[in-house]
Amino acid sequence: MLNFEEELKRFRPSLEIGNVEDAISKEDLTDMTDLMTELLKEKKS
Amino acid sequence: MDTAMRNHRLSNVYYNMGLAKAQERDLTGAVEVLKMSLRFNKYQTDARNLLGLIYHEIGEVGAALAQWIISLNLQEKNNLAEEYLQILQNESGYLDMADQAAKKYNQSLSYAHGENADLAILLLMRMVEEMPNYLKAQQLLALLYIQNEDYTKAGRCLYQALKIDHYNPLAQRYMTVVKQNTGRAEVERRKLKNAFSHRQMQDDDIILPPTYKENTGWQSILNILAGLILGVVVVFFLVTPTVRDSVVSKYEGEIRQNLELVNQKSLQIDQLERQMEEASAAQEEAENSLADMVSSSGGVISQYQHLVQILQAYRAEDMRTAVQLYLDTDFTVLNDGVLNDIAAWVQQDMAANGFPVLEQMGDEAIAQSDAAQAIDYYQKSLTINPNNIGVIYKIGLAYKGTGNTDEANQYFGDIIMNHPESEYAAQAKEQRGY
Repeated sequence: MLNFEEELKRFRPSLEIGNVEDAISKEDLTDMTDLMTELLKEKKS
Repeated sequence: MDTAMRNHRLSNVYYNMGLAKAQERDLTGAVEVLKMSLRFNKYQTDARNLLGLIYHEIGEVGAALAQWIISLNLQEKNNLAEEYLQILQNESGYLDMADQAAKKYNQSLSYAHGENADLAILLLMRMVEEMPNYLKAQQLLALLYIQNEDYTKAGRCLYQALKIDHYNPLAQRYMTVVKQNTGRAEVERRKLKNAFSHRQMQDDDIILPPTYKENTGWQSILNILAGLILGVVVVFFLVTPTVRDSVVSKYEGEIRQNLELVNQKSLQIDQLERQMEEASAAQEEAENSLADMVSSSGGVISQYQHLVQILQAYRAEDMRTAVQLYLDTDFTVLNDGVLNDIAAWVQQDMAANGFPVLEQMGDEAIAQSDAAQAIDYYQKSLTINPNNIGVIYKIGLAYKGTGNTDEANQYFGDIIMNHPESEYAAQAKEQRGY
């Protein structure tokens, strides 16, 4: 049987249209190439 | 460079997987692999646009807009995202409707957390009528119905959810619970009941007249007990296997399909793990070669830095600094073709003009009574031009001046033995005393 409270925790709020701009600015766009570049910079310095 | 190419390739592999899953309507699976694709290459525009499309399909319009806007920012030209955004904007009232749906869903979630399940159900019911493809709303409504033991309605919501996303794990799990608690169990119970209620008359059956009765009480009880035992035996040997077989055959096809899917997924996982291993190995290789290049003592980059400093000293006509830097530079590693000509020119110039500068510096040190420094400069001069007999003689004199006769005699001896014809041979003999 289902544990209602536990199941409810799986549900996250949806993104409202008015919050799209904020969501975009907070989006983490780091990819593997960025990570590699960062690593190389740290090594050089 | 290789690592970047591998990242792009991995990104493309994940994108292709995401596309295949989306085509099969495995939207949850598609979202996961498309996110992986973007982790390897954020400029994989097709993956981002497809992710947006899937979000739109499951009713997450805000998330879809976010992905398409980001896509357009990363690639302004020839981007489908522009077309998608245009379509949404041109659809009158659609964005408002989607926004309202998201707000209602969030409000329902809040009600559900606050134990106002009835309000949550009311709000969700109206919302899914307007947007039946809003997956999360259908799932939450199903959960609330299950909580209220309204399994039939829950089943309808889950059916809608699985129409949108065929393999949605949450919907499948809830559907299992619903099936356990609805009609299906009723059907099974009815089948068991019918096993006892119908029996065909045989030729040798005797029809007892109603007046005939079994009169003894104990026999009645025994008959009842025998009937019960017989019933249990019949169920065990006849009904249960039939029920089991029909259930097994019904689900056999589904089980086979699921096993094939699991097998396929396992193969895909193996392939991805291999690719991840290759990527990790390539990364490690890149890190190692970079570590070699930047290591402080003999690294290539530090040698290039020396070369730059030498050139700066030349430009400032500071030959003394240039020659000392030259001695600290390992020219053997400066051979990648980029600055070969410059390195060769520096070496040639130093061979011709560098050693006299060091000899001059040594002479100045002697004048300042700093024999140790003078010897150091003379030695460095010899590393550039080892056949400068004058410098050899000066080293001998310097050692003699500090009282280190043994060292001095070695240098004088070197002149006498190896350069007997030179102008310094006689002086060396004199200094040595023999």
